[in-house]
This record gives sequence, structure tokens and C-alpha cells, in this order.
Amino acid sequence: MGEENKKLKIIRKKLKVLLVDHLSLEDIKPEDIKDDEILFGEGLGLDSLDAVEIVVLLQRNFGLEVKDLNKGREIFYSIDTLAKYVAENMDEKAE
Amino acid sequence: MPEKIKVKKRGNELGFQIFMLSTKLFGLRGAYGLLYIVCAHYLLFDRPAVKGALAYTQRRFSGEGIFKKYWRVYLLFVNQGKALVDRYAVASGYDGFKINVEGFDQVKNILNKGGKGCILLTSHVGNWQLALSCLKELDKDIYLLMRPEDNIAVKKYLRIDTEGKQVKIISPEQDFGGTIEVMEKVKNGNVVSIMGDRKYGFPALEVNFIGDKAGFPFGAFHIAATLECPVIVLLTAKLGHRDYCVDFKNIIRPKYKGKTDKKQQLKKDMQAYATILNIFAKTYPYQVFLFADVWHKQ
Repeated sequence: MGEENKKLKIIRKKLKVLLVDHLSLEDIKPEDIKDDEILFGEGLGLDSLDAVEIVVLLQRNFGLEVKDLNKGREIFYSIDTLAKYVAENMDEKAE
Repeated sequence: MPEKIKVKKRGNELGFQIFMLSTKLFGLRGAYGLLYIVCAHYLLFDRPAVKGALAYTQRRFSGEGIFKKYWRVYLLFVNQGKALVDRYAVASGYDGFKINVEGFDQVKNILNKGGKGCILLTSHVGNWQLALSCLKELDKDIYLLMRPEDNIAVKKYLRIDTEGKQVKIISPEQDFGGTIEVMEKVKNGNVVSIMGDRKYGFPALEVNFIGDKAGFPFGAFHIAATLECPVIVLLTAKLGHRDYCVDFKNIIRPKYKGKTDKKQQLKKDMQAYATILNIFAKTYPYQVFLFADVWHKQ
């Protein structure tokens, strides 16, 4: 359990750095983004075009393809949900 | 997700049946003849359509008096009607149109390389739906990012959603405006057609279009720059009674250089597209069917 939390923490941190680095998030530092903050619409204010960037970031940095389009909104809800998706699917790839 | 746009329903079952019958009995010219009466009705009573058309004609034919302005709108309506009649004829199996296709080899070369597909940038000009029939010889699925047609009569007679098994619809009314699905299809080597000249609630950037600042959506360019795939500009024009030209020659390759100010980076490519449309509007002034004030700041 501790190992899993540690892994999630590392992924969350990496995701925040990637979002700040690649999206047009003005005057926002990675540490300003809360783990449970809503990413799209209200909250961080990302839009559908930022989703394009996130899909590519997931592919380039974690080797993940977002194929289940019905789960898109669920996966991209917050840093927490995104990190869980990365952790679970990276595990599946490793198996 | 883009805001949901209310679209006024035009055309009903009876209207389409009358045009269908006229085409069968009197040929294309017979159906075109009816348009002059129907379009006069729209000119008098369809204020949103007239307002949308005036936004274009006032810029394209600037400095003209009120009578001429409305006359231009009327001609625009008639020409769009002809495009719809032609479209119906093709959808019904009529193959009497001579379609001169330019630049199609470039499209084939891009797709035959394997790997990623491309974005086909369509505009409200000419008869883009008719041009899609040219793509049938490609061994690829063609996807259209567009709202599913909810006017039953239009759907039935113009075969909006059922162009054939090769053409499929991606709805912008799903999560993230359909962009994730668009990306998946392009990454898998398919052609995805996106409208480039009306934003329909998607974020837009300013370009110079027909002598004024207009807002064009930048989604297609952003996706292409992110995936590093080409944007092929599709133009079609009716040259004569049964003559069309379809032009795939203009290819734009958006690319991000660095991570900063990406919108600004797209402006050059978007202006290139707007300039292509400017030239089209100069050459075929009555085949620009925007019917929306894309110059209006919203």
C-alpha cells in the first residue's frame, strides 16, 4: 500500500510538471495545482484543445493510449484520477 | 466541450419531395427553376439567413446600395440551392457531373506512407459534400466532425449521416468536443474532415478574411501541429451546369516550435488558410455559403 501511494505521488508530481510545462497555464506553478482540483471547465480551466495535449503527453511520457473514449471525462477529471489511470495502465503494460 | 449551437431547421419532407419530383421529371434545370421562387421566399421571410448572408455580401461587395446588397443575397441563396439539388442528385445515384479533381495524388501519397492520416479542412464553399465522393477510391475510412443532422427530411433526402459505410460521423457534442476521437482516428491513419471557417462554439483565433478581422476555429490546426500531421484544404466549385472542380492542392503543415505561445504560432498557418478562402471568394463570389457573421466578435 505504501509503495502504491509513493508511486501515485511521483506520477502526480510528474503530471503537474508536464501540464504546467506544455499547456498555456499562465502564472501557475506545479505545486499550485491541487490533487483533486477539477482540470476542465471550472477549476484549472482547461478546454477541449488542452485535452489534445494531455493525450499526447500521456503517450510520449508514459506510453499510454487513451482509447476508451467513454471514460475520457472520468480519467481527465483531476490530477488524482489521471494519476490513477496512469498507474493502473502502466501496471497492465508491465504485466 | 463546445457550447451547443442552435441551428434553425430549414427544409421539410414535402419540399424535398417536390424538388425530387422536379428533378425526375424536368432534370436538374427544372429543379433549379423552382429555386428562384423558393429563394425569394427565404429572402423575404428568413431573417436569420438573410442577416448571415449579408455579413458576407456587405464585405465581398462593399460600397453597394441596399437593392444590390439584397440581390447578391438572393443569388447566393439560389446558388446554394443548386448545390443542394446537385447533392441530392449525386446521393440518388446520378453520375452526370464532370468532376475535375486536382491534387488528389498528394492525398494518396500522404496516406500511402502509412502511419498517421491527415485532417481534411473543409469550408462552407462550393459543394464539399459532393467532393467527399472523390475520396471513396481511397481505401480509408473518412470521418466528419459534425453535429448529427437532426432534421429528418434533410437527413433522409441529402443522406447526411449515411453517405456510405466509408463516411462516418464524429459528434462534437461528446466529451472534449470529439477531439480525442479525432486524434485517435488520425493516429490510426484515417482522414478526418473538420470545418475550418465557422467556430460552432470552439475556440477561435483572429484572421484577415475578406478585408476584415474574422474568428476562425483553430482546433484542426492545433490537432495537426500536436500530432504532426498535414492539413489538406478541400475546395470545390461549380464551374458550369454539370461541371465541378475539386481541389486538394493546398497542403498546410502546422508545427509547433517550442512550447510557448502556441496560439500565436498557429496564426501564420491559419492566415494561409484564410488567404486561400479569400482567393476562392474573389473567384467564385456566389459559392461562399457561410451564412454566419464570422466577423462578429463574440
